[in-house]
Amino acid sequence: MKNPDANPTVVARHALAWLVFGNAIGVGLALLLLLPNLNSLLGEWTYGRWMMVHMNVLLYGWCGIPMLGFLFHTYGLETGRMSRWTRPIVWLWSLALMIGSASWLQGHSSGKLFLDWTGFARIFFVLTLETLWIFLVAAVFFELRDGTSSSLRKALPQLAGIVVLGFVPNAIYFATNPGLYPAINPNSGGPTGASQLESTLSIVLILLVIPFGITSRNPRQSRIAGFAWIMFAAQAIFCAFLGRADASNHLPLQYLGLTTSLVWVPLIPLYYNTFRWREESRRWRSAFLWWWGGLVITGCAFFFPGILDRFKFTDGLVGHSLTAVAGFLTAFLIFIMVELAGPQHAWIFNRTWSFHAWNMGVLAYVLLMTATGWIESADPAFTISPGGLRDVLYFLRLLTGVAMLAASIEWLRNAMTQNADRIEVESLVGAKAA
Amino acid sequence: MRSEHKVRDWRGAILVAAVYVYFLIFAQFAFLELLSADGLQDNKLKAVMAAMAVGGILFSLLTPRLRIIADPARRIRIGLILSALAAALSVVPLSFTGAIAVAFLIGAGLGIVTVTLVTYLVVWCGEQASILKTGVGVGIGYLICNIPAVFTASAKHQALFSAFVFLAVAFLPLADKNLLGPTLQSDAPSKTRPYLAFPLVLIAFTALIWLDSSAFYIIQHSGVLKAGTWSGDLRLWAIGAIHFVFAIASAFLLLKKRIALVLISAFAFLGSACALLAHPALIHSAALFYPAGVSLYSVALVIYPSSISSHYDFGKRARQAGWLYAIAGWIGSALGIGMGQNLGHIPTTFVLTAGVLVSIPLGVGLARTAPREVTLLAFIVVVSMVALHFLPTSNPEYTQTAIERGRQVYIEEGCISCHSQYVRPGTSDVLMWGPASTPAEIHAEKPPLIGNRRQGPDLSEVGLRRSSTWLKEHLIAPRTLTGNSIMPSYAYLFDDGRGNDLVAYLASLQSGDIAAHLAEEHAWRPSASAVRQASLSEGKHLYREDCATCHEARGDARVLWSDQLKPQPPDLSQMRRSSEKQDTQYLAQIIKFGIQDTDMPGHEWLSDRQVASLSLWIHDNSSQPIAKH
Repeated sequence: MKNPDANPTVVARHALAWLVFGNAIGVGLALLLLLPNLNSLLGEWTYGRWMMVHMNVLLYGWCGIPMLGFLFHTYGLETGRMSRWTRPIVWLWSLALMIGSASWLQGHSSGKLFLDWTGFARIFFVLTLETLWIFLVAAVFFELRDGTSSSLRKALPQLAGIVVLGFVPNAIYFATNPGLYPAINPNSGGPTGASQLESTLSIVLILLVIPFGITSRNPRQSRIAGFAWIMFAAQAIFCAFLGRADASNHLPLQYLGLTTSLVWVPLIPLYYNTFRWREESRRWRSAFLWWWGGLVITGCAFFFPGILDRFKFTDGLVGHSLTAVAGFLTAFLIFIMVELAGPQHAWIFNRTWSFHAWNMGVLAYVLLMTATGWIESADPAFTISPGGLRDVLYFLRLLTGVAMLAASIEWLRNAMTQNADRIEVESLVGAKAA
Repeated sequence: MRSEHKVRDWRGAILVAAVYVYFLIFAQFAFLELLSADGLQDNKLKAVMAAMAVGGILFSLLTPRLRIIADPARRIRIGLILSALAAALSVVPLSFTGAIAVAFLIGAGLGIVTVTLVTYLVVWCGEQASILKTGVGVGIGYLICNIPAVFTASAKHQALFSAFVFLAVAFLPLADKNLLGPTLQSDAPSKTRPYLAFPLVLIAFTALIWLDSSAFYIIQHSGVLKAGTWSGDLRLWAIGAIHFVFAIASAFLLLKKRIALVLISAFAFLGSACALLAHPALIHSAALFYPAGVSLYSVALVIYPSSISSHYDFGKRARQAGWLYAIAGWIGSALGIGMGQNLGHIPTTFVLTAGVLVSIPLGVGLARTAPREVTLLAFIVVVSMVALHFLPTSNPEYTQTAIERGRQVYIEEGCISCHSQYVRPGTSDVLMWGPASTPAEIHAEKPPLIGNRRQGPDLSEVGLRRSSTWLKEHLIAPRTLTGNSIMPSYAYLFDDGRGNDLVAYLASLQSGDIAAHLAEEHAWRPSASAVRQASLSEGKHLYREDCATCHEARGDARVLWSDQLKPQPPDLSQMRRSSEKQDTQYLAQIIKFGIQDTDMPGHEWLSDRQVASLSLWIHDNSSQPIAKH
């Protein structure tokens, strides 16, 4: 039973709207760093408050909403009796972000980066997560009761996922508590090698799980998948062994421990080759795998003693963060959305100019910021009391931001067009079956 | 023949523009000044304005029922001529009774003109693009009012200009066969069918006009606010342009039946402007938002009763317009002015209430088209509010110390986005920013505010390096103290207690044992190679950027805060003329680290070469004049 409310473009539209909004703020912030006199026009909504909005809407809006699409698909919310609630859930998520944005602009923050939720916004967001979870549970319940679940083998991983997801709202609620803070690397003030490895493994776990929710294995047998899971388990044990105490990146166990994540640079592409993917998602799949490789390699390199000491607190690490969010995550999310949306909707993201505007824009940004960070680390006055060279570099950065914004506007425009409306009644499953 | 048709198609837009010019430049503006010149003030002035409102309300409601002047063309001409007559009469000295009569005539004339105009606007705009033409008319009306020559003309000239405009448009060829039937004969308007109940729209318009009138009155009666809005040719042209652009934008949205969106957007702009009025320093931003909001709803105020009214019948349409202008227009306006007079500001709760009222049409529309979304969202909002009420909260603000409150301000303002609070041990951080902390000390903070990016200095030991006076002055006007600073001004924090709390917190950021660090500072010297590379030109440039502001008689910071800086910074231009020469090493140390327990700050981020250049220039250049900072 196809439902026009349960269509992938609803997810894409909301996610892209937040991407455009977040990017527009980013461009505005880059402009403020070049023309600080413009700050006087902002009133109390100063640079610092907009930074919170910028970072959070990109994380929870752009990166979070496509994951809703994945969950809807995996738990069968796109079809059947629950499908009419997918759109309200996406709206609820967006409303939580609107409330959050208003709250951050009003200066309400927990003081924790990416976990700024506090007061009403914090409760609303956690309840949004709870609501999503309840609908997922209901979807599984109806599937089991109606016998629509194809097999127990399919239902068991779903149930396991439900159990894990059930902890997320509470985890978010407690993580926003100012009293909790992760281990500190005394030499940098940043995360320890163990924390970095833990984060990397969390992403690896997502990368390993997601194909099972959206596609099927290649008929050609391969041992790569099994090897990847064994490697993941081994690293997880190793990570637990590293512990969660404050530890310096100058300790060999910390930086060498993190370098074990390099194994995922070739392993993830090989793992993804063991699944069947749409032809339409090829360019974004390649892009995300290239960004993944770059992210892991630079992540390890930047953690080494001497290099981290130089780059910490500079634009060099800002560039690295962009590699993660705008490079790897964005390409990955678009790849997922193209896979979920099917051939009818693939055109939204597949225009050549916007693909290159985005990826080249991110690459140029990362290179510029790495260069800026390198200069800045030797000369703090370069940033604190800016001169001509810094302004030129920041102006070029602004241009890369405009390129990324233009690409995201193009995707949003495509998602909102009549063509998308016309075909949005075709549900994802139907499209895949075709 | 074709050109005549073109003119006939633009009659509506011309009439709309004329009405706005008359209302804005004369009825709302020049007439008040003329009354003031006649010595009518306070209660007498209120009585005269009340007479205008009574005339307006009465004739807005009566016009649809005026059987004796059935021909709309004739009726609107009479209204135009009466209004023009009133404007002309206002330039002669008026007694109190005379002023009451003229004010009543203005209201009555406007009541007749506005209700008749919007009832038959679709006829006078022609069949093509009537909504867009209306938007153009409103935009041009506002634009004309903001032409500097018109805006700054004397009240008498403005009154005569308004009278002339109304007389001129009274001679337009307004007769039309489409005016004669009881219902609309053109099928064009039927494409824009009604979809919002009249009472909802009436409430929304009343709230918007109330806000607008209140804001307008407050701006007009505050010298600071008025100077920041309608002053200067460039600003007037800019405001006129904003009006015009947003009037067209509003017409486009209304063409797509987005009246709820127009009303919400108008509120967003107007509400923001009203909130900003409470901060005179931000009046420039308010001056941009205000015209945008006003133009958005002004176009809707004309188009709703004329093109998207729920009635095809001219009589019913006119009665609806009458109620709209009587209640939202005249009464809403009077209430807004009353609020401005009595309170002198717009309470936040009122702005929020207005927002809720304006949102109702959108909410009703959404409830129809997306019931599940509305139900789920409303349910979670209510549950969240209940949960917020019952969940334990952190310490109330009044139990906190100034330092604790200041830390919260630091978090709220997102200072963490640009400033770290972590000195990396064993690196150049220690000399620049102060002694390093241990992870245990960092974990004791709830939450640690390490940050991840330094757009500005590290602040973990800022209390050691800067005096409270300097911190306060830097928060208020950063670029006055540090020439190239990219930091925004946080002057608004000092409108209430937040600024002083933040200063208290920043001043508290210093570790107990600083002796070793001070010894390290005293032992510091610029490297030999840096001294060799030092240049006078670089020193002069840096001096002008960072030093002259306090150390020159006419420096900006010295002028602003000379009585607060302790001790008074020496005037280096005088010192240069004397034979006293400071040791460059000593100067370098002061430049780099400041002077402990005074307001003299360090410039820790400068490289050794920059410090050496600066100390060299201060030491050597006794004769070169220094430009004012």
